[in-house]
Amino acid sequence: MSNTLRPYLTAVRSTLTAALCVENFSSQVVERHNKPEIEAQTSKEVIMNPLTISRNENEQVLIETSVNSVRISIKIKQADDIETILCHKFSRFMMMRADNFVILRRKPMDGFDISFLITNHHTEQMYKHKLVDFIVHFMEAVDKEISEMKLSVNKRARTVAESYLGEASRLFYKGY
Amino acid sequence: MILLDYHNVILQDTLSARFESEKPESLDMTIVDFDGVLYHLSTPESKTKIQVSFKWGCFSELINYGANDILQREYSDMLVSPPQDGFDATLALDLESLPQDKDARDAIIRKISLIKRNILAAPFERAFKEQEQLEDEKQANPTPELMAVHYREDEAIYVKASQDRVTVIFSTRFKDETDRVFGKVFLQEFVDARKRQDLQNAPPVHFSTREPPLELRHLDLKDSEEMSYITFVLFPRHFASLDVREETISRIQIFRDYLHYHIKCAKAYMHTRMRARVRDFLKVLNRAKPENANVEKKTATGRTFRRS
Amino acid sequence: MSSPDVHELTLKPITAHSFNGDRTKLAVCPNDTNVDIYNTSSSNWTVEATLKDHDKIVTGIDIAPNSNRIVTCSQDRNAYVWTQENGVWKPALVLLRINRAATFVRWSPNEDKFAVASGARAISVCYFDEDNDWWGSKHIKKPIRSTVLSIDWHPNNVLLASGSADMKARVFSAFIKGVDKKPTPTVWGDKLPFNTVCGEFQSGRGGWVHTVAFSPSGDVLAFAGHDSCINVAYPNADGNPTVITVATPSLPYLSLFWANEHQIVAAGHDCAPVLFETSNNQDWHYTGSLDENKKKVSTATSVLSRFKTMDSRGSSDNDTDLNTIHQNTILEMRPYAGTRDNVTQFSTAGVDGKIVVWDFDPSRVVKDMSALRL
Repeated sequence: MSNTLRPYLTAVRSTLTAALCVENFSSQVVERHNKPEIEAQTSKEVIMNPLTISRNENEQVLIETSVNSVRISIKIKQADDIETILCHKFSRFMMMRADNFVILRRKPMDGFDISFLITNHHTEQMYKHKLVDFIVHFMEAVDKEISEMKLSVNKRARTVAESYLGEASRLFYKGY
Repeated sequence: MILLDYHNVILQDTLSARFESEKPESLDMTIVDFDGVLYHLSTPESKTKIQVSFKWGCFSELINYGANDILQREYSDMLVSPPQDGFDATLALDLESLPQDKDARDAIIRKISLIKRNILAAPFERAFKEQEQLEDEKQANPTPELMAVHYREDEAIYVKASQDRVTVIFSTRFKDETDRVFGKVFLQEFVDARKRQDLQNAPPVHFSTREPPLELRHLDLKDSEEMSYITFVLFPRHFASLDVREETISRIQIFRDYLHYHIKCAKAYMHTRMRARVRDFLKVLNRAKPENANVEKKTATGRTFRRS
Repeated sequence: MSSPDVHELTLKPITAHSFNGDRTKLAVCPNDTNVDIYNTSSSNWTVEATLKDHDKIVTGIDIAPNSNRIVTCSQDRNAYVWTQENGVWKPALVLLRINRAATFVRWSPNEDKFAVASGARAISVCYFDEDNDWWGSKHIKKPIRSTVLSIDWHPNNVLLASGSADMKARVFSAFIKGVDKKPTPTVWGDKLPFNTVCGEFQSGRGGWVHTVAFSPSGDVLAFAGHDSCINVAYPNADGNPTVITVATPSLPYLSLFWANEHQIVAAGHDCAPVLFETSNNQDWHYTGSLDENKKKVSTATSVLSRFKTMDSRGSSDNDTDLNTIHQNTILEMRPYAGTRDNVTQFSTAGVDGKIVVWDFDPSRVVKDMSALRL
């Protein structure tokens, strides 16, 4: 792990650990409703200041906390066209499976590639520290996955090009 | 399989099955190939007389570049005139008058299954001939024609001879963003591959996206983000001797399908990878769920028990 | 009884719990609309009744120790007082007159009143209206600006402390004419008509006040908020109270109680009860955890279950467990045995569905903070 990645992930981990202290909270605006306050945005005082952790301008995490829910939005590193495409494909692929990833938001927040929404119901059913582990693991693995996928595309392209031109070239030698 | 076949495999397999079977049967079969090519196999007269018809959108263009000569040269005895209704060329075979020799039979099959390749060879053969003339006679530049074959909707091959070379330009269309980006990566590798020592003799490759290359400027092609142009420059060494020339023609013809095939493969591979990665993520998420190890279960008789 | 005495009642959160006076019955809400009454006289606790009248999650339960009446409140905006007649629990609806969720309920020490906190930015102080034969209520509204999260009664049956999401802890008078006798003056004031604000304290660094508690004498108020601080407020005659704030590096506390005049136990998102102490009412400090944090010994698992975890989690070892007894946030903590000024046992209820009864034994405090970390 590079020297800047570790403090970045550590910061995300400790922030999430603190942010995930959520509890059941019924709406104080709408009668008999119980909605994630971070999505409803109806009571100012139960929403905390949003927090951005950034490694650089291309890699950021926005953590928005409220009394009963936390929204985590991640900007994934995209150095070039191919990484943008791969990242877009990957996040879309995951979001189409949001039902399995109970904490995945179906739509990322503006300016981010993927968002998670963790409510008190999730922390009640799952271990909080393992949820944090999951988010950190995701951030770590998604970068690796995208660069590996990019490498594999490049490698395939090289093999494809070389065998197309290569075999012919050997034949040209013979022709001389 | 990295390289694609030059011939049509289904056509080959079907014919060899016919050739070898003891009992002739009637046949009515339509086969499609790359680039909208259609084959029709039938036995209209008797079960032993197989007719192979061929149809391709750009056939009329190829006629202009000498496709008929090639058909005559390669298939003279099999050619049926006029061709079957709605098709561009028809070949006929009589199973009863086939040569006994296995190799000779295979040669016939191979020749028929290469019909698409042979027809498309017309503009290339012509360009190679033109180039030879230009070089030999040192005449005052008779402008050779830019031969265009619109072998697919929106996509074309352009072939042009000049004094010391033959330029082949493919225009190809990447319909979606992913293909476009992948295509760029692949094409860049085609350009870069020549930098390798052992590939120095391969034809130089250039590519441009959106803007057509200089040779095509006068055609007034529409600018489009989706279009890419790939230029191969063939020097006399690429078509001097006969077997190299044949190989060059075959190889260059499959370029477009080869490229797209591998882009699709790359995408399919990405998909498999993502699937595996997502499954891995789900497992990590599952670690957050407490295990209900001590859940009471019921046996068939209604007794409850606990399993640890 | 071995301490701590752990009872895993359910896998769902226990949103509220209350033991009866002689600790033979326990009422809990397993995160749904029901209240389960357990018989706790033997070591194997069994459900003996279920109270089913609420239609949203029950958020508060309190059993009056002497009169054996249960009051429950829920996010459906209602509260019921349940009385046992011939072994059957009968509900009586309380006229709360609130239009948002009720969040917390407690009987007053004399058991003639109870207070219901709510999301309607109000506290309903309820009393039995003899004339109409129902439970009526009066509202404490001003100056509450947000959902009230917890309340605690002063031992004099009149004063009421509240903690709310507007980041303040307050002390009010809940004097009801006709129910209460004129109270004797306390450090909080002497003239106490209903809704008098006797104290208002800002949470240390700004955070929702999750829990409040009067000291055994009632002269000091402790509260804890989402800023992970414990605050202890001493009222002064001149109107400028002294507030001591103890900042901790742990996660926020959701519940606290006074074990005696100089020891406070708090618990919350860190899943373990922790002890705060003072010797002279000024040096409040964090002492340590009351949970021994023993590393769990993993029990031998069957080959089948090992393959199952391998399949579903991608790793064969199952290291998800925390070292603490509670495996998730502790939601509520209450004294279990002893007197108000000398608690000897207390109970905790957690999101992990466990009820744990602990011996209050300061000698066994684990001082090492690092053991607390995950």
